[in-house]
Amino acid sequence: MNSRVVILLALIWFPLTAYVMFRSALGALANYLLLPAIPSVIVLYVLALRSWRESWVAIVGVSLVSFWLLMAVAAPYLPLVDPNKPLVPFLAPGGVRHGILFLLGSDMRGRDVLSRTVWGCQRVLVWGITATSVAYAVGAGCGLIAGYLGGWWDEFVSFASNVLLSFPVMVLFILVLNLLGQSGFNIIIAVTCSSAPVIMRIVRGLALDAKSRDYIQAAQTRGEHPLWIMLVELLPNVRGPIIVDASLRLGYTTVAITTLTFLGLGLQPPDPDWGLMIKEAATAALLWKYSYMMIVPALSVSSLILGFNLIADGLREMSLRD
Amino acid sequence: MGNLIVRRVTQMLLIMLTVSLLLFAIFDSDQFREKAAVAELGGFGVATLSADDYHEWLEKKGLNEPFLARYGRWLESVLHGDMGQSIEKDIAVSVLLKESLTNTGILAFFVFLIMIPVSLTLGVLAGMNTGSPLDRVISIVAVLTTSIPQIATAVLLTVILALGLGWVPTKSAMADGWSFRGLVLPLLTLLLYDIGYLVRMTRAAMTEVMASQYIRTAVLKGLPYRRVILRHALRNALIVPVTLIFLELNGLLSQVVVVEVFFQYAGFGRMLFDAANFGDLQVLQAATLVAVCVAVGSQLLSDAAYVFLNPRVRFT
Amino acid sequence: MNEHSLLPRLRDQLHSGRMDRREFIRFATLLGVAAGTAYAMAGMSAPAMASSTLPFPAAEPGAKRGGKLRVGEMVARMEDPATYNWNEMANQTRPILEYLTLVGPDNVVRPMLIESWKPSADLKTWTLQVRSGVMWHNGEELTAEHVAWNIRRWSDPALGSSNLGLSTFAALTEYTGDKDSKGRAVRRPLKNGVEVQDSRTVRLNLAKPVLSVAEDCGEFCTLVVHPSFKPPLSHNPIGTGPYTLVELRVGDRCILKRITKTTDGRDFHYWGGDVFLDEIHFHHYEQENQTAALASGSVDAIYELPVEQIELARSIPGAQILSVETAQTLCCRMQVDVKPFNDIRVRRAVVKAADNGAIKKLVFGEHGSVAANFHVAPIHPEYFPLPLQVRDVAGARQLLKEAGYENGIDLNIVVGNNDGPWQQAACEALRDQVKEAGINLAVTVVPATKFWEIWTKVPFGATSWAHRPLGTMALSQAYRTGASWNESHFSDPEFDKALSEAEATIDVPTRKARMQKVETILRDAAVVIQPMWRPVFILASARVHGYKAHPARQMQLTKVWMS
Repeated sequence: MNSRVVILLALIWFPLTAYVMFRSALGALANYLLLPAIPSVIVLYVLALRSWRESWVAIVGVSLVSFWLLMAVAAPYLPLVDPNKPLVPFLAPGGVRHGILFLLGSDMRGRDVLSRTVWGCQRVLVWGITATSVAYAVGAGCGLIAGYLGGWWDEFVSFASNVLLSFPVMVLFILVLNLLGQSGFNIIIAVTCSSAPVIMRIVRGLALDAKSRDYIQAAQTRGEHPLWIMLVELLPNVRGPIIVDASLRLGYTTVAITTLTFLGLGLQPPDPDWGLMIKEAATAALLWKYSYMMIVPALSVSSLILGFNLIADGLREMSLRD
Repeated sequence: MGNLIVRRVTQMLLIMLTVSLLLFAIFDSDQFREKAAVAELGGFGVATLSADDYHEWLEKKGLNEPFLARYGRWLESVLHGDMGQSIEKDIAVSVLLKESLTNTGILAFFVFLIMIPVSLTLGVLAGMNTGSPLDRVISIVAVLTTSIPQIATAVLLTVILALGLGWVPTKSAMADGWSFRGLVLPLLTLLLYDIGYLVRMTRAAMTEVMASQYIRTAVLKGLPYRRVILRHALRNALIVPVTLIFLELNGLLSQVVVVEVFFQYAGFGRMLFDAANFGDLQVLQAATLVAVCVAVGSQLLSDAAYVFLNPRVRFT
Repeated sequence: MNEHSLLPRLRDQLHSGRMDRREFIRFATLLGVAAGTAYAMAGMSAPAMASSTLPFPAAEPGAKRGGKLRVGEMVARMEDPATYNWNEMANQTRPILEYLTLVGPDNVVRPMLIESWKPSADLKTWTLQVRSGVMWHNGEELTAEHVAWNIRRWSDPALGSSNLGLSTFAALTEYTGDKDSKGRAVRRPLKNGVEVQDSRTVRLNLAKPVLSVAEDCGEFCTLVVHPSFKPPLSHNPIGTGPYTLVELRVGDRCILKRITKTTDGRDFHYWGGDVFLDEIHFHHYEQENQTAALASGSVDAIYELPVEQIELARSIPGAQILSVETAQTLCCRMQVDVKPFNDIRVRRAVVKAADNGAIKKLVFGEHGSVAANFHVAPIHPEYFPLPLQVRDVAGARQLLKEAGYENGIDLNIVVGNNDGPWQQAACEALRDQVKEAGINLAVTVVPATKFWEIWTKVPFGATSWAHRPLGTMALSQAYRTGASWNESHFSDPEFDKALSEAEATIDVPTRKARMQKVETILRDAAVVIQPMWRPVFILASARVHGYKAHPARQMQLTKVWMS
């Protein structure tokens, strides 16, 4: 069960990340890159439906997330207008100009809202998931080191994480992004700085607790390398709470990226991005009749975050029932 | 408990020292000095300045000394209460800090005033009647409101309340003097998210307590339901939410950045944002240190409250 | 007053059709003819002015006294007027300090603190008559000595004022022959450049002939201060205007109040006639928030209405949207000494693949006017109309092929939106157009502050150039060899020579012919894609009267009244 999921996730995440971050370098290959990801999303969804069918909350959540994942990987193959091409400004949803149907209308510069929403989903998902994954890798790594090895390692890592935890999250983001510049990669660094300490604390606590358990001492007696013990014995036993936390954290990270882009500190234009769409609508489209320019990206990002939150809630419910 | 406080405060001071040193080192680079020059003199202006004039300008602003000397001087002046001058706004940092903290304090006061009773009540009600239609509605609304980013709420509220109905001004710059109406939009934006969050946490805690052994025993023994709730369940269920409320102080400092910048409210978050964008080092230092104080302080209060309220922990 | 010797020639050219009426009016006023007279000579009725010697429009009947105007703009500091670099600083100062001359929204210069000006035939000696009866806030009267003190200050290189970029004040300096540590030549003021002849007359002895003395004295950094001035201005502003500073908080508000008494207790009498507003309040709003603030009634007028918010502005009941054509433009300039732009075929290909008219239409709709890549605007007096740029994708492809880029070329343009997001919109439109010729243009948007760090260093950048009243001014600052703002590193001795010749010519047909040469050289060198001349919009509520849009965004609030 586990390895299937891991393979499917890899089949989705690697092509999508490569597509978003390195598309210009890939040239013609980019057109075929996302093809294996599409069936992977569908299979993953079916698997999730089967294993989580007791909790309708988790089902709704995973449906929302899978919908957006599907949109993200299928974006190049859908019949969409170029999201960056200015055509007809301020066109109401359902309008038809130049023979093109603008299902969700066009924004203040004339670009198709539907197309920008679908394409914008790619960036949010890729940067959000990558940032959270890196934060986990760093946080879990540090936690294992601090918990298992103890001593000076523990002191140093704990102090560093206390320093980082002393900042309100947004303050940390602003400082890091102003210092390093605004780009997706720097967002990864900023998110890691803010999330890794918490993860480190959780994993450290679990490691400290597990260190005294029998199976760990058995492994030590066997003479296994500490790193092997950490990865193979400890980590799988803490899977449950980590998935719940990961899901919640993905939600927070998505909010953070959207908010940072809104403030001008995050992902840069011109490519479509939900935070950017809300920002542009907030200056030029404050009238009720143009509010669709803001409502569409707001609804999209809210539904994605809702999906993550519901998955977390549903899984927690299921684990309580056991 | 006194031990706890002393340890935490010492750690906080150590952290503040580290943080201020780090900040100074980072923002003391050539890149930031040029950024400050450009922000003040203009791009065309800096291009025409000769090298000598540029260094003279740096001298005048005190930006040219070696790093450790500047840091030492700054540390000394802070200990005497003088936190420096804002190069952007041209007033003393302490004045700016006092005003912006007051403004954010007012906003925070109203947020807590409304949030605490509302969310605790809703959360308790939902937790008491787990599974009922009331609980379902409250839970769904709570999870919905915590899923909508505050920027979206802010823009939507502006469209509906400010421009559509005209009940409140669009921006909270308080140009005509302080008025509560100008505070309404930022307040609602913050409340919509925070109430939902606290409701969820309270409900979870209440549910757990209601399902616990001793409550069920009390009900089976025949004690009146209301007395059971008021005397026993609440007392234990509210431990976690109360500690979370203290942590909200820290969370508020984060949320307030976005809200204040969007609504142009002259508070702490906006001051920090402007200072970071401009490269206004002294303001940034002071603001960051205050933020660290608030964060550590709120964590300390939260832990202390937990120890105080939880009899099991207190007496072991 | 004696007529200038060149005036009959100008009149001749007007009547024989070789000069149009607008050009005549501009040139005549530059030579010292009163604006009303110039309009009359041209056979046009002048915009109603209070009198022929006042630069303000006549008071409308029913103008009410009293009231408070709230303006939404970014409140800036007020240090030293000669080194101002933000328009907002000057806007806040204009009700307090005044200029020697005032350039109106119609781009015609009128007398303000100097009553008249007379150039010699060779345009090297100018005689300025200082207006009488002008009172300072401290009770003194304005004299020629005060004016001379100010002019000497503006032409002092040690001050670091951008006024030295103006021909008049540059011509009051000379090179010492030394170089500074950056390798630039050092200048010092001319010994006898500014002469005070009597209590009402100042004479300027310039090193070279300059046509635009009157205009240069109306540029936004040439506010006249009292000789007792020490920066910062906000601590002790003494001026000749009808208002004084009550409170300044940078980034928050700036409050001005009308003066009724001088500092030594006498009644203050303003030379410019009636002033209506009691108070002017500037409230800080970020550029993108100003329209929203006016929509909910927090302010009565704003600094500028960005073109994307026009729809929002139209929905505000009663609001006035005012616009004016300017010489402000976007220069997408390529550095001619950097690969691949050092090959002129590549530059020409990019220029050919663009469609200036389509870009203008997309960004500004029906407003503004199309430009043709040589940085001189139709509202400039010496504008010589060259044919508009014609899009030629096939030609562009052919040029690229010849240059060795048969499979297309990857370029990157950096834009900092220093004037607003419309710049980015224009670059994106450009990107879509050149794609069809095989040019993959990536648009990199950087924050405005970062852009100013790199604007002269990037190979392909999009900078917004502000309005200048004369076409030669921008050319001199941007394309002359070695000019400090020459971001394209363009260097052509023929161009420099032709430009100098044009700058020294007063005779209009000859000037235009010389400008034709200058414009053609620049355009053919394909240094810059300059798609349009942008319009400037402002927004005011229905209660504000007399607030007009100015091409250089100079707010003139002295005669505004509120109903």
